[in-house]
This record gives sequence, C-alpha cells and structure tokens, in this order.
Amino acid sequence: MSNTLIQVNHLRKSFGDLEVLKDISVDVKEGEVLCIIGPSGSGKSTLLRCINQLEYPTGGEVIYKGKNLCEKKADVRKFREEVGMVFQKFNLFPLKTVLKNVAMAPVLTKHKNKKDAEKLAAELLAKVGLESKADVKPDMLSGGQQQRVAIARALAMEPTALLFDEPTSALDPELVGEVLGVMRDLAAEGMTMIIVTHEMAFARDVSDRVIFMADGYIVEEGKPEEVFGNPKEERTKAFLSRFLES
Amino acid sequence: MNLKAFSDVFSAVIPMLFRGLEITMQVAVTGIVLGFFLGAVSGYALQCKNKIAKGIANIYIWIIRGTPLVVQALYVYFAIPALITNIGGERFTLDSTLAGIIVITLNAGAFISAIVKGALEGVDIGQREAGCALGLTKGQILRQIVIPPAFKSMIPGLFNQFIISVKDTALLSIISVNEITRQTQNYVARTYNTIPAYTMCALFYLVLLSMLMILQKIVENRIKR
Ligand SMILES: Nc1ncnc2c1ncn2[C@@H]1O[C@H](COP(=O)(O)OP(=O)(O)OP(=O)(O)O)[C@@H](O)[C@H]1O
Ligand SMILES: [Mg+2]
Repeated sequence: MSNTLIQVNHLRKSFGDLEVLKDISVDVKEGEVLCIIGPSGSGKSTLLRCINQLEYPTGGEVIYKGKNLCEKKADVRKFREEVGMVFQKFNLFPLKTVLKNVAMAPVLTKHKNKKDAEKLAAELLAKVGLESKADVKPDMLSGGQQQRVAIARALAMEPTALLFDEPTSALDPELVGEVLGVMRDLAAEGMTMIIVTHEMAFARDVSDRVIFMADGYIVEEGKPEEVFGNPKEERTKAFLSRFLES
Repeated sequence: MNLKAFSDVFSAVIPMLFRGLEITMQVAVTGIVLGFFLGAVSGYALQCKNKIAKGIANIYIWIIRGTPLVVQALYVYFAIPALITNIGGERFTLDSTLAGIIVITLNAGAFISAIVKGALEGVDIGQREAGCALGLTKGQILRQIVIPPAFKSMIPGLFNQFIISVKDTALLSIISVNEITRQTQNYVARTYNTIPAYTMCALFYLVLLSMLMILQKIVENRIKR
C-alpha cells in the first residue's frame, strides 16, 4: 500500500447550471479500498463517472500513471481497459450468454484469442460461484447473480482497479450478501477498489478509508473507525444517525 | 355464367395472377431489402449528433410522408426521366419495374428509418455505458452491443412494412408495372370479364397477404422466446 494509483485533483462537474461536484480532491493507493458514502444526490455517482470519463469533468484533473485523463489527447480507452466499473443496474448484455458477457471485452480490446478468453471467463465465473450458469442468458439469473457476472466481466479485463457504483442498491435484501461476499474476497486479494455504497457495515469492515460526500464536497475523510465511530463533522453525524435509525 | 365459361376464365386468370405475383414479389422484396439499408442509414442519422445528417434524413422522410405514393411513382417514372432528358439532351427512359423498385425502396426506407431510430434509442443506455467502461471503441459498441438487440426489436416492424410494401405495389399499376393488379386490368380491358377477374384478383391478394400475416405471427412468436 504505497503508490498512488488514481489521483483526483480539484475536480468539478456541472450539468448546466447545476454544480454537482464542487472541488473534489482524493486519491487511491495501490491495494487500497476506498468507500464513498453520502446522501442521495451528493454527487457520488458523478464522481465515479468523471473518473473514467463517462462524464466529462468541467474542471480539475484525474491522474492515472502520471497522465491527466481530462486532457484532450489522453487515452481514455486504455484507462477503461485497466480500471473496470460495476454498475448499480448490472448492465449485462441481454442477448449474450453469461460466458460471452464475460469473455467478450478482452477479445475485442486486448485481442486475446477466444479460447483463452473463455477459459479465463470460466475461471472467473467459478470464482464468483456461477460456473453452472455459463451458458444461460442473463435474464435467467437473479439480481445477485447478475451482479456477480458483472463483477466477473470487469475482472476479465485483468484490471488494476475497480469502481463500484452502489453495486447492491438494486438488489433484494437477501441477495446483497452474496455480492458483498465477492467484493470482500477481492479486497482480501488486494484489489484496488473505489466503492460507492449505502452498506455501512460493509464499508466499515472492508474499507481502508472512507469519504463522506455531501452537496458536491468531501465533508469528511478518514479511517472507517474514525468516520463511523467518531465522526467530526455535524453533517456526517446527522447522516450516520439517520442510517442507524433506519 | 355457366361452368364451362367460368373454368375458361379461371384457367386464363390464374397463370396471369402468378405472373403478376412474380413481379409483385420482385418489386416488394428488392424494395424492402434496399429500403432497409436506406432506412438503416437514415434512422441512424436521425438519432446521431450530426445536425447535417439529421437534417437530410428529416427532409427525405418529410418528402416521402408528405406526398402520395402514386404521385411519387408518376414523378420517378415520367418526370425524372424527362428532367434528365432536358438536361442531358439525349432521350432518357426508365424501365417501369425499376421505377417501381425505386419508389418502394424510397417509401419503405422512410418508414423503416423511424423503426431503426426507435430500435437504436430503445437499447438501454446502461449497456452502451458498460461497453464504454470496458474500453470498447464506438464501432465495437455499435456492432456488438447496440445493433444485435436493436435488430431483434426491429423485426416485427420490418415485417409489417414488408406487408405494407406488398400492398403498395398495386399502386404501381399506374406506371404500368406488370404486377398483379396491372395484369388484371389488362385482362379486363381485353375480355370485359370484369366481375370474375377482379374477384379473383382480390381473393388472390387476400390469400397472399394472409399467408404473410401468418408468417409474421410465427416469426414474432419465435423472437419472443
Ligand atoms: N446526466 C445528468 N444531467 C443532469 N443532471 C444530472 C445528471 N447526472 C446527475 N445529475 C444530477 O447531479 C446530482 C448528483 O447526482 P449523482 O447521481 O452523482 O448523486 P449520487 O450521490 O450518486 O446519488 P444517489 O445516492 O441517489 O445515487 C443530482 O442532483 C442529479 O440529479
Ligand atoms: Mg448514485
């Protein structure tokens, strides 16, 4: 846990007149798990989407391997090949089998041969406990299973880091555990992860560092035991106490 | 009419209807295939960001939707060759079947653009973003992620347009394309067997279109699974 992998400097993002990210600076080190918490609409998804340039930031920098991704000539595709993303709504490709969902991107982007890609895909499906589902279409799976396929799909690119945007928010409560379990395994293996989540117990357990966002700012940042156990800011306290009540 | 006379008419009209069917299908199938390519390009243009491409597609659709097919047929068959003759100096004519194919293509293309546009827009933005986040190029996202489900959702609309195009070919009788209707008209002009000939013509269309509608149902049920 030493080198900074992704560094966000003074990032700003507006949609029209609405300023969603106001001045965000944060970094992630290799092997670190960073959890982002905060109320709805605080800009958590927008921050993740600005990091991999699904949204173009209005200002600031995202530095990866010494290069600023926000520059015009930056190779954003290369970054996306190396840093995967897992979405709230899974976003699997509905006409492709589970195996093809996982094996497709490495063949297209890294010119891996199909055999090797499918072999890796099968291994990854086994890792997320879905080896028996390789040949079915995604709509035959439960939400929890679909999200695990989506994680396997991201892992198939052999990423240096993964971004998770509320990976369990679209799931029935009884399916949340299986997805968080896979993410715990990844954390234990040393995968670098930025995770936006409302699962406070999980965030407290797994993260090395927690960020509390509100209104487009980072309000509080620290070790999980600090942020959850002894928050300094009033807004953090209020947010967490509302969460504990519910 | 006695039985002998009826069977005479029958044996004269049936082969003629089948000759017409050949032309009808030639025009409709070629028209729908070419119309699909035209509609794919113009439908893609409708939902892309390029304002010029979008504008051209909109003007094309506006002209086709804003004029009757019969007038389009007359224009393509008579007016355009006359225009080319005036400009080029040499007499220019267009084969009527070819003119018919052009008209059906232009027409099907305009309606297919709307189908294509809807199908492309119907593909969940989340899937495009997933492709994007995996590092795929724009072309790969279009080919691998957008087109397959879009094409699947287009099939019922395309089949529907094909049935409409088959019916539209009847209007091409006005520029003497030798399809089913024109064949019947010619036969009636020669023989004055008005009632049996037009009755058989109508029944012939009814059977033809019913078969296409049954096929449509079968195809739709197939893709639903
Ligand atoms: N594409 C967009 N166009 C306009 N406004 C947007 C867009 N995306 C997000 N916003 C707005 O930006 C604000 C922040 O949205 P964002 O999705 O980042 O919040 P969030 O913290 O992820 O919330 P949640 O917990 O509900 O997911 C919201 O007010 C939202 O309406
Ligand atoms: Mg969000």
